[in-house]
Amino acid sequence: MVSLDWMHLLHQAFFGAVAAAGFGVLFNFGLKALAWCAAAGALALSVRTVGLDLQWSLEAASFVAAVSASICANLFRRPLGPRGNAVALAGCIPMVPGAFFGQAFLGALAVTTPHPENAAVILTAIEYLLRVLFTLAAIGAGLAIPAYLLKHRDF
Amino acid sequence: MTDDPIRLKHRELEKIAMAALRVARILVECGARVRVVHQGATLVARGLGVEPVGLRTGYASQEITVRSGANTITRMMTIGPHGVNHRLDHAMRRLAVRVSHGGMTVDEVEAEIERLEKTTPRHPLWLVSLAVGMACAAFGRLLGIDWLAFGPVFVGGCLGQALRMYLHRRGINTYVLAAVIAFVAAGIAGASARLDGSTTVNLAMMASILLLVPGVPATNAQTDIMDGYPSMGSARAVSVLMVMGFATCGVWLAETLLGVQ
Repeated sequence: MVSLDWMHLLHQAFFGAVAAAGFGVLFNFGLKALAWCAAAGALALSVRTVGLDLQWSLEAASFVAAVSASICANLFRRPLGPRGNAVALAGCIPMVPGAFFGQAFLGALAVTTPHPENAAVILTAIEYLLRVLFTLAAIGAGLAIPAYLLKHRDF
Repeated sequence: MTDDPIRLKHRELEKIAMAALRVARILVECGARVRVVHQGATLVARGLGVEPVGLRTGYASQEITVRSGANTITRMMTIGPHGVNHRLDHAMRRLAVRVSHGGMTVDEVEAEIERLEKTTPRHPLWLVSLAVGMACAAFGRLLGIDWLAFGPVFVGGCLGQALRMYLHRRGINTYVLAAVIAFVAAGIAGASARLDGSTTVNLAMMASILLLVPGVPATNAQTDIMDGYPSMGSARAVSVLMVMGFATCGVWLAETLLGVQ
């Protein structure tokens, strides 16, 4: 039995909401939709944090979080309308592993130096790159699968 | 010449094809998936009384072939820079639905497109900069930066976004822009975080450039491939890789100058 760190969960949900709303402004969502973006971000980060606390991998936790955001966007179809999928996507943006991506590239640069320190540098770079690819794929699949299965593919 | 029905029909077809392509182009530039873009163009073409025979959307251009009776016409249109604009995207979708109900002429549709492009609201630049700075700082907290680095990441993100909009307006290449912004944002965040005594300078520098992470194109790439448009999906994926590659160069340069490992 794994106990949840509620303060950590609240912290992640709050900053997930702030990040999603911030990106919502960048994506030119309207004010009402920004609140939904924040809610989707809080939900996605909460689910991912719980998953990580349960010792799931980052990829698995991100996938379940994206599925949750997508299902909720479909459940709230009436107030959200056709923008539901966009709101779910904005909520998942804070889970995009951009920092891993940068570290993978920087690691790759370290590998190509004339005398790379050791094999661990190469392994770390490859690990980060794979984590980026798998996590991105997990988020994309998690967002798309419910939308396809629920057949709510409004224009 | 006015008694030439076939040539007149072709001119009408051309106007309809161009109106459908214009809606499709704006949808692509607003970050819509190819399936949505094709749906939009199809609704407009059918609403104006012609049948779309074929549609192709590439990263830089798109084509449509429309038919009316025995006449067909194919037209192509260049696509501008790809971005994300949710409100204009949905305004275009609503317009396409309205056109599909019938009763609008091509000129009315063109005028409406023009109006929507000019009047669909955008958030003021200062608000976008502040929001993006806050998003980067929040992203940073999710990554594990300490509170001492929170302010520097916020400032780096704000200034990075302001610079992005300024350079974008000056028509700077997207990838060069990514490298410049990454260098400036990471440099500001890293130097300030170090001055503040933060122990997470490296993470702070990474967090400050997360405004460049192309999350929407990255997920759209996957969805486009799932929807049966692998060429556009692949092009989007490559553009994501390019942006991140150039952004990393900017961070790497900033880290080297600051001596951050």
